[in-house]
Amino acid sequence: MADSMQLCNLSENNFEQCTKCSICTTVCPVAAVTTDYPGPKQAGPDGERYRMKDPAYFDKALKLCLNCKRCEVACPSGVHIADIIQRARMKATMGHRASLRDTMLANTDLLGTVANLVAPVANAALGLKPTKLVMHSVMAIDKNRTFPAYSRQKFTTWFKRHAAKAQDAYPNHVSYFHGCYVNYNFPKLGQDLVKLMNAMGYGVHLLEKEQCCGVALIANGLYKQAMRQARVNTASIRQAVGTKGHTVLTTSSSCTFNLRDEYPAMLEIENSDIRDGISLATRFIYNLVDEEKVKLIFKQDYKRRIAYHTACHMQRMGWQLYSIELLRMIPGLDLQVLEQECCGISGTYGFKKENYERSQAIGSILFKHIENARVEAVATDCETCKWQIEMSTGLPVENPISILADALDVEATRRANSAGD
Amino acid sequence: MIIVGGGATGAGTARDCALRGLSVLLVERNDYSTGATGRNHGLMHSGARYAVTDGESASECISENMILRRIARHCVEETDGLFITLPEDDLQYQQTFVEACQRAGIRADVIDPAEARRIEPAVNPDLIGAVRVPDASIDPFRLTVANLLDARLHGAETLNYHEVEGLIINQQRVEGVKLLNKQDGSHVEVRGRVVVNAAGIWGQRIAQQAGVNISMFPARGALLIFGHRVNNMVINRCRRPANADILVPDDTVCVIGTTSDRIPIETVDDMRVTREEVDVLLKEGIKIAPSLATTRIIRAYAGVRPLVASDDDPSGRSISRGIVCLDHAKRDGLEGFITITGGKMMTYRLMGEIATNAVCAKLGNTAPCVTANQPLPGSEEGAPSQSDMTKRYSFGQRAAIGRHGSLAARIEKDNDIDNALVCECEGVTVGEIKYAVHQLHVHNLVNLRRRTRVGMGTCQGKLCSCRAASLMGEFRHDVKGAQEDLAAFLDERWKGMRPVAWGDTLREAQLTAAIYEGLCGLDKAVNLQGKEDVQ
Amino acid sequence: MRMDTVIMGGGLSGLTCGIALAKRGQRVTIVAGGQSTLMFNGGSMELLGNIDGQDVTNPLQAITTLPQNHPYSKIGANRIAEIADEAKQLLADAGINMAGDATANHWRITPMGIAKPAWLTLSENLRIDDLNQLPAKRVALMCIRGYFDQPNGMLAQGLRDLGFDVQAIEFTTDDITSLRRSPSEMRATSLAKHLVSNNALQRVADQINSLAGDADMVLLPSVLGQTDDNDIVTLQRLCNKPLRLVATLPPAVAGMRMQTLLRHYFKMLGGNYLTGDSAIGGNFEGDKLLNVTTAKLADMPLRANNFVLATGSFVSRGLAANYERVYEPVFDLDVDADADREKWTRFGVLEPQAYSRYGVATDDNLCCLKQGKTIGNLYAIGSILSGHDAIKMGDGTGVSMLTALAVARNILCGK
Repeated sequence: MADSMQLCNLSENNFEQCTKCSICTTVCPVAAVTTDYPGPKQAGPDGERYRMKDPAYFDKALKLCLNCKRCEVACPSGVHIADIIQRARMKATMGHRASLRDTMLANTDLLGTVANLVAPVANAALGLKPTKLVMHSVMAIDKNRTFPAYSRQKFTTWFKRHAAKAQDAYPNHVSYFHGCYVNYNFPKLGQDLVKLMNAMGYGVHLLEKEQCCGVALIANGLYKQAMRQARVNTASIRQAVGTKGHTVLTTSSSCTFNLRDEYPAMLEIENSDIRDGISLATRFIYNLVDEEKVKLIFKQDYKRRIAYHTACHMQRMGWQLYSIELLRMIPGLDLQVLEQECCGISGTYGFKKENYERSQAIGSILFKHIENARVEAVATDCETCKWQIEMSTGLPVENPISILADALDVEATRRANSAGD
Repeated sequence: MIIVGGGATGAGTARDCALRGLSVLLVERNDYSTGATGRNHGLMHSGARYAVTDGESASECISENMILRRIARHCVEETDGLFITLPEDDLQYQQTFVEACQRAGIRADVIDPAEARRIEPAVNPDLIGAVRVPDASIDPFRLTVANLLDARLHGAETLNYHEVEGLIINQQRVEGVKLLNKQDGSHVEVRGRVVVNAAGIWGQRIAQQAGVNISMFPARGALLIFGHRVNNMVINRCRRPANADILVPDDTVCVIGTTSDRIPIETVDDMRVTREEVDVLLKEGIKIAPSLATTRIIRAYAGVRPLVASDDDPSGRSISRGIVCLDHAKRDGLEGFITITGGKMMTYRLMGEIATNAVCAKLGNTAPCVTANQPLPGSEEGAPSQSDMTKRYSFGQRAAIGRHGSLAARIEKDNDIDNALVCECEGVTVGEIKYAVHQLHVHNLVNLRRRTRVGMGTCQGKLCSCRAASLMGEFRHDVKGAQEDLAAFLDERWKGMRPVAWGDTLREAQLTAAIYEGLCGLDKAVNLQGKEDVQ
Repeated sequence: MRMDTVIMGGGLSGLTCGIALAKRGQRVTIVAGGQSTLMFNGGSMELLGNIDGQDVTNPLQAITTLPQNHPYSKIGANRIAEIADEAKQLLADAGINMAGDATANHWRITPMGIAKPAWLTLSENLRIDDLNQLPAKRVALMCIRGYFDQPNGMLAQGLRDLGFDVQAIEFTTDDITSLRRSPSEMRATSLAKHLVSNNALQRVADQINSLAGDADMVLLPSVLGQTDDNDIVTLQRLCNKPLRLVATLPPAVAGMRMQTLLRHYFKMLGGNYLTGDSAIGGNFEGDKLLNVTTAKLADMPLRANNFVLATGSFVSRGLAANYERVYEPVFDLDVDADADREKWTRFGVLEPQAYSRYGVATDDNLCCLKQGKTIGNLYAIGSILSGHDAIKMGDGTGVSMLTALAVARNILCGK
């Protein structure tokens, strides 16, 4: 034991590595807009030492944290500041009952299942002024908020009817964790991925069983449910990665981050054996291109000017490079990479009445950058950023996968990638 | 009467004397609690540690332990303690230990090792035996200050930075003391009917000045402070007392110690910790709690136990830490002079009582001692405890209640500036600093640290020391001294960091240097060389 | 992913090197693990400020007297003047306007009012070229009420000791007062986020204009201009007296702006800047480094012709020390450091500390060494280099920029 003595300083979430340099405080989007939040340093490493002494030192203001992880990205000491804050919230609120509003917002899949059945009605109702006012006053969901529209047909329904059969014929295979957004709100993104992967010679398969990744459940304090769903997903992914040898692709940076990093950090679900098998689709595709395993051929007449917004969790994963480099391969695309700022929505945070103003204030810097970029659309890997930016700037926001699928010369790409087989 | 020494014993004696209606002056050459009082574990012994080797001390401890829980609630954290047996220890000893505890009246429950691991997850999982005892942790700085505050409330006067240069002796009677005011260099003589020597290890010098000989037995102990609490219960080794066998959770940190070495009396002012001491503490410490191997050490410090050489045992361990009260009239034929020494921080109140009894006997005062029943300021009946208060106040206000108990009500908190944090690690506000400077005898940043925990966090005063120095300069109307004070404070912090300067502690030191020397140029403005270490 | 050059470390040295290479058409990726120590920079660069306790007046000349193991000596004292000019130009190109001269140090004023020798200082900051000819006689020192990262008493006293006639004036505005509702978050950088609108700046200017009395110059803590100097220029325009800024305790607004502007410039030149990622190892073949693995791009080692290590000293985790040794944590490169822990430091906080001179060992081209062998395509620049002492010699930022440019030249000419 003496041999390993003091050779490293390790603590949960590395909080001891904090040198109190205060750099994290300079990037916190919440502290920048409200004095009610004590900032990441105080909420994180400083407060943690006191909470270890007596849990009663927990400060309710910690719920204002967006969990955007910008503090962690800025930290020169590798401290998982936001994880410390989230864990503290979890410890302090474990066993508390979430409000109806939070439960509803957090259960994106349940809400989606119901909404899909009555999509036109649901969309109309969620958009109606009286409904919005009821939600505002009764449910505390902000009246200014535009709800994402629900699709009539779930992605999985479409997939089973129109795509599933053809997939086995491809020489290579991947699995797809589509997430709630693709399934209930925007199946087109899933369809775009299938189109893209198929053109590259990859068959796409659904997981045996997929549940909502639970990012919203964690944010809203529904930890037990989050753990249950996480176990189901981890088991399905383990089957796809372990048994079938598939990489599990995702098209949402938040789902990806949750599946890979928050499961072990927040929910204590061991996933080290499959973590590397979960990849954002752009990362997977970029690596194939970089290793010259596939070729992408784009339409000659494609011409657009688009700004790329790095979602906070995307930056935390450090993967924006993949999406950006892939988009840069499209010859007709004039890509503006925006300075990283938080859009302010942070999943369900910005939907809540009490957070609405703060949420918009946080996003205002980004909205200004977008306005200055003079583009026709914005690209981002996160669906909640998409809602926020669309609502706040009026510009369409697209996932890089959709842009790639749109710009792709499908036939040429198919030919290029089947020649060698 | 005059008390020499501002440690816990002197403060406790001052309080007792004042409560019994005596006119009291306490003088301290440095700051209060700079000697052994502020340089130990902060452990409120149950007495179990002494049960086998020194039953008398053990009984004293448990009795004082129960008293302090009542009268000094805001200084005490009731953690309980474990005495663990490791595979390398003799499990037989546990039985001896438990029996000895029972004899001394100390509750000692043998518990299953699995239960020990459950209630204290930091404990070495390999343990083969555990006994639960009523140990606790105590903040000696707060305890001393609370005693001084109460003494002052009852008419006593207390002076820090006043060093005894000599005693005024007339016809075999001590009639007063000659003092040097170390702040302004002036000399003053104060007369009293009795002088109590409560100067700890430095009491030998005071006695020499009176022409009497006390042979002190300086036993040095070094300790290490870790960056956060790894344990929430005191953990002891269940064996005969040895090096580094106690790990105490103190406030936001935990402390392992101690070593034990006999040192020459001439070196008792050199409290720098050596590499060898650090090595021993670490090697033994990780046996108690393995996570110490990977936990950041924020500093090292050492203190000297003021033991009186009653016999010639060379090991320094089996000597009773029993209380020694010498009436020099009886012992040496010198009237008006009493020495109170030996003992331990834990038994300061009892020592105060014994010394006060001796004083009262000389002065014909018959008032009874009430210190065991009357709560200290901050711990009055009905005073809010830290846990009730935590929900309603800001972080800084809560931390202040934890430190000052009900006295926190005296801290200004009605405006945003008073509530602003100076030390972010420890939650010290502008208001608390103002309170400390104006009401708790703070002359410099190191004093301020002892009263408030400014700069005691993991960064050891990165940004807060400058903020605090600047505020102190403002409150004390002394801008010129602020930079020197700041440099002296940083130097004092570095003294503790240097022996453990690797890993994140070295990073921390480099950043502090980059800020205060690189960015601010403090080294150009201040020369610390040749400055006496009076911290 | 194949690059011409991969730079590990995104602080002053990494960005300087990246910019110099990208400007010459190289494909460069910077892997930046968190924000850099520029965040502690009050707005000045130092070439060489002090030798053996004596302030340096002419750094270019003094550099010729440095020992052979100093990074400047490895660059070659005769090349320093030219490279220093290039550095100054690079900063200007990035939008960082600094004044100063490599042959004559000026004095920057520290947050404690102490004058320290400097090579370049941001044009809006108070600087003194000649201590016998102060730029103003009567100065109004504007002290922000409730802001504690500027030790106003010390600053005023220091300025008085330098010969200024100082009037310290406390002021506040609605914006500042409302910010102070936070017990913890009233830092220079938070003020800079709030003092951005014309109205907020006008309110500050109104206070200054009404309180500054008959001062010749107004001094304000450096709490403006986080991303560019527009807010500073606006406030200067709104004030009816010359306005200069004084550095504060960190995080420093000036340093944050320099970092931001350099990063923008690098990206504008086509560079890739990977934020919040760090190199964790690499594969060597003979005396060459083939690729570097990062924590976040685990399955995609970054391949390049050349690699530059700009990960900083201990504080930035470019160097590490444990109970037993000082080491370089990414590649375990050879370091110049004492083996005996006792020698790393000494008592006396203001004494020179040996550890601040530790760093990786390099040859004369600033190529790193591993087990005694030179790695021909792995260079080290900036604070991770051994043989200099940013704290005691005042050479940190200069070494960062100049070694970065020297290595860029070495890479470009295939050395």
